[in-house]
Amino acid sequence: MVMIAQNSSESLSFVPGPWWSPFATTAGVQIVHVALSPDPACESEAYGWLDKAERGAWGKYLPRPRRQFTLCRAALRAILCERFDCRNDQLSFGAGRHGKPFAIAGGARIPFNFNVSHSGGHGLIALSAAGRLGVDIEERIPRRYLNELIEAVMAPEEQTELAALPESAKLHLFYRLWTLKEALIKALGTGFSTDPSGFQAPPAMRRDGRSSVFSFPNLPSVAWMLEDIGDERFAAALAYELESPKIGR
Amino acid sequence: MATTEERIRKLVDENLEIEGRPLGRGLDLNASLRDAGVPSADFLAFTKVVAEEFNLTFSPEDCSRFENLGDLVTFLDSRG
Ligand SMILES: CC(C)(COP(=O)(O)OP(=O)(O)OC[C@H]1O[C@@H](n2cnc3c(N)ncnc32)[C@H](O)[C@@H]1OP(=O)(O)O)[C@@H](O)C(=O)NCCC(=O)NCCS
Repeated sequence: MVMIAQNSSESLSFVPGPWWSPFATTAGVQIVHVALSPDPACESEAYGWLDKAERGAWGKYLPRPRRQFTLCRAALRAILCERFDCRNDQLSFGAGRHGKPFAIAGGARIPFNFNVSHSGGHGLIALSAAGRLGVDIEERIPRRYLNELIEAVMAPEEQTELAALPESAKLHLFYRLWTLKEALIKALGTGFSTDPSGFQAPPAMRRDGRSSVFSFPNLPSVAWMLEDIGDERFAAALAYELESPKIGR
Repeated sequence: MATTEERIRKLVDENLEIEGRPLGRGLDLNASLRDAGVPSADFLAFTKVVAEEFNLTFSPEDCSRFENLGDLVTFLDSRG
């Protein structure tokens, strides 16, 4: 077994790549932006970094999600290889019960948390040596079935607040709330088994607040820091566990 | 009487879109909607449409088990 050690526990820096670059750093969590516009040269280079299992997954995707998966996964590989000083062929990925990926190097799970999200031409990768985390990004494309989406994924109070807004403000708040909820669900790693309409985003963040502490109603002992990291290009949110003694749960 | 598969395909055509375009009739039943690029909010909204059409409810656990449309069809057929 190859021992994998972090290059530096303090340093969050990494060398930007052809299609990824630093986006933000907050409380020990590093967020990387991945450019996902069509670029055959980058896509073919990225494909070359994938292992057999990933190439199998690649074959099942339609073209756009295929590009998103390939460019994000290859960027993640490059960042983890640099950070843990390992070779690309030593690195592979496993997944939890609901599909949340984790990294394996030299046969052992790397004690490091990351999460990936992609939407349209943008991807984000959040990385942390501390507790669990989740990230979500959504381009704010207009939705034909916005009201149905709101009914399906928002809590009653959120639905009422959204219903009172004019269309463009409604779309904006929908994406803001959805990314907050999705980042939390992705941090938990439970996928669709956690009903997003079963909890609501903190009231302060339903208005203009950029960050807040959150706990799931059925999990009050675990506190998450929730941050709105969206900008004019996309809605995005980050959720990370506060004061977690365990890593890679 | 339309089969479950036909009814699901119709619902997909009527309700799911990717970047403003309908998903398309040719979708393979073994294909995961996630692999096709359907965002998770849309998938959850779609399960509610399906629940209404088939007059049943899905638990969040049920939703998390559907890997592809074929799983959904099998689940619905098993509910008779
Ligand atoms: C993954 C999921 C949590 C979010 O999906 P989304 O908002 O559409 O997509 P995002 O771009 O934000 O996130 C996708 C990334 O999240 C990561 N991910 C996958 N499952 C995850 C989970 N359970 N928890 C956290 N992250 C997860 C992966 O890295 C994935 O990207 P990759 O496959 O390119 O590596 C949601 O799709 C899900 O729960 N899926 C599992 C069930 C499913 O896919 N059913 C399909 C029915 S047809």
